[in-house]
Amino acid sequence: MNKKKIYPWWFVIVPLALYVIFFLLPSAMGVGYSFTDWNSRSVLNGTHFVGLQNFKEIFTSNKGYLSGIGNTLKFTIISNIVKLIPALMIAIMLQEGLRGKGLYRTLLYLPSILPFVIIGLIFKSILNYNTGLLNTILDALHLGILKQKWLSDLGVVWKSIYGVDAWRGIGYVMTIFLAGLNTIPKSYYEAAQIDGANFWQRLRYVTLPMLTGSIMINLVFGITYGLKVFDIVYVLTNGGPGHATEVLTTYAFQLYSRGQYGMSSALNTILLIITAVIGVLIVKTMSKQEVQQ
Amino acid sequence: MKRKKLWAVTCAAAMLASMTAGLSVNVYADDNTKDFAGEELSILVSTGWMDNRYDETLERFEDTYDVTVDLQTIPADQYSDLLQSKLATDSCADVFWIQSNPFAIESTIVDPEKYCIDFTGAEWESLMPETRKASCTYNDKLYGLQVWNNSPEYVMVYNKTLFEENGWEVPTTYAELKDLCAEIADTGITPWFMPGADGWQHQLAFFQIGGVYEEATPGLYDALNTNQATFADNEKMLEVLNEFKELSDAGYFGEDWIGTDSTNMSNEYGDRTCAMAMANSSFIKQIKEDTGTEDEFGMFLIPLGDNTWYPTSPAGPTMFGYKGTEHEDLVREFFNFVTTTESLQEILDNSPAYTNLDVTDENLEQHWLPEEEEFLATVDKDKMNVSVLQNGTKYTNDYWMQFGQDMIAFCQGEMEANDVLANMDTNRAEAAKTVGDANWE
Repeated sequence: MNKKKIYPWWFVIVPLALYVIFFLLPSAMGVGYSFTDWNSRSVLNGTHFVGLQNFKEIFTSNKGYLSGIGNTLKFTIISNIVKLIPALMIAIMLQEGLRGKGLYRTLLYLPSILPFVIIGLIFKSILNYNTGLLNTILDALHLGILKQKWLSDLGVVWKSIYGVDAWRGIGYVMTIFLAGLNTIPKSYYEAAQIDGANFWQRLRYVTLPMLTGSIMINLVFGITYGLKVFDIVYVLTNGGPGHATEVLTTYAFQLYSRGQYGMSSALNTILLIITAVIGVLIVKTMSKQEVQQ
Repeated sequence: MKRKKLWAVTCAAAMLASMTAGLSVNVYADDNTKDFAGEELSILVSTGWMDNRYDETLERFEDTYDVTVDLQTIPADQYSDLLQSKLATDSCADVFWIQSNPFAIESTIVDPEKYCIDFTGAEWESLMPETRKASCTYNDKLYGLQVWNNSPEYVMVYNKTLFEENGWEVPTTYAELKDLCAEIADTGITPWFMPGADGWQHQLAFFQIGGVYEEATPGLYDALNTNQATFADNEKMLEVLNEFKELSDAGYFGEDWIGTDSTNMSNEYGDRTCAMAMANSSFIKQIKEDTGTEDEFGMFLIPLGDNTWYPTSPAGPTMFGYKGTEHEDLVREFFNFVTTTESLQEILDNSPAYTNLDVTDENLEQHWLPEEEEFLATVDKDKMNVSVLQNGTKYTNDYWMQFGQDMIAFCQGEMEANDVLANMDTNRAEAAKTVGDANWE
């Protein structure tokens, strides 16, 4: 009996050890370092405990860290809206028996397997005001009035980032929705149709309630991705123009690059706290809904 | 008898064979390339610091030593961050570059003892002029190799033919510059091509005229280096920043200078879509080669702040050997190889942007441009002794990119001019604190 209880632990030990060594321990150390003045000279001068000084610096200095946090949250919310709604619409369209849907699925999913750096560099070129493909096409179509400084106008730059991010991410989100749609029994729709429900009513009363799981999964992935966003911003704008598109991670990267590891860790700790709080809220919401279902 | 003969012939053959073998071993022993066959030398460099000018030399190095060179060229706006990360995580390439100046080794590499190979006593030490050595040494130890040109750097390069055709005069004050820009803009030509998207070029307009700040506040450089003065509230600096913004607001830098990089700069000159830009004198050669234009080009000093000072600079991209490398001998050989007359001539000849190399090698054939000689003749020699601001003051160059971002934020109305300067003070103070500079304690 006792042996049976211990036996499964042998299977857990290796992955658990790896998880502790490569994830929990560094995370805990990162949190610890955020209370120190660890920097590139620490090898000579030592690392000292500074309490909450790094956090005070983040929240009180005029270096834009707060706007970085704000931008991160804004990106998390908007990028999810921009991806989830179109992805759901496309998934429903493809599920409805569109001709050539296999091809569309593949085409829509393809961008999500491309590395962000490649996407960023391609779009940086496409979105160039003077020589970019987008403005050139607009000119050719006599739609010059729609031309924009896509990556340098303060009012447009975020929209460009959301657009590129959506172009890459919609296929992935759509795939999760398609998987969810496939699990909805056809009989539900048949019953609704017999009752005289139109498309919107079927969507409202059958599809969406049955897709709650997929929506939650997409939300969890989308929110954690949004909070950690780095590559797309770094490659497309490097936080610019000026500091307009700086996010938490670009600031953390800059600080780390300048050898201010303690400050960089403090920013990452803030990111960890925000992610943890939102994560707990989502898990609680999901658990509640599962209980209700 | 026959057996004796056979024995004698065998012995003679053996002797001959061993002598030949011995000879071949000796020849091999003299060949210092023998130990490196199959090794790989990685080089981490920012765009523009090696470009194609080193290609031929690198190829010859690979052939000579039977090694491969892994050249990792990083976009300029990402290089500094990447290098710092690589150094901090002990994963740097065998050879790495920094934009060095007399303070940069301490502030950029931070711990040269840990990260850099000590080249003190290397044969090529005497190749570098004393002015450049300051950017390559730290605590009397030689760490870097700087092979850079001595041409006028980042002055105004203008289309002389275009100016003459339109009767435009070279401006010597800011007021004249502004009037000229207005005239040029009226013709539909971009007056001053400014590649803001590069992230590192536009701030040159502020920093290359260091002499003007020193002239306005004598002793400013020393005061900045000893924490007795600040960038913030410096009237001349504020004046220059505001002038820059005024030109930006008027559209004289082009329709989207913040989103434009320098990729197309020589074509802009060649197609006459721009009249002037900040560039090295040797860029003239590149414009002509890239575009085949018949136009003539000239240079004048950046007139912001009514500047009359020449941008003297001992700084330049500098090559270092990474101490953590597994191929230290190969790295040393590479430095020796690059500094032979043959390699230097190759580097110079293969670079459209260079007209000379600032090295003490009498056998090197320089290619000074007449435009350079003409421009240098117009500059007051007494106004060539103040270094550009970024290299004459401590910790300033380390925040080059941040200052550039702040300048753009200022031009877009997101920041005040004095905040741009105050941020530089804050950043410099942080850097000073990090290195334990007593002046900032």
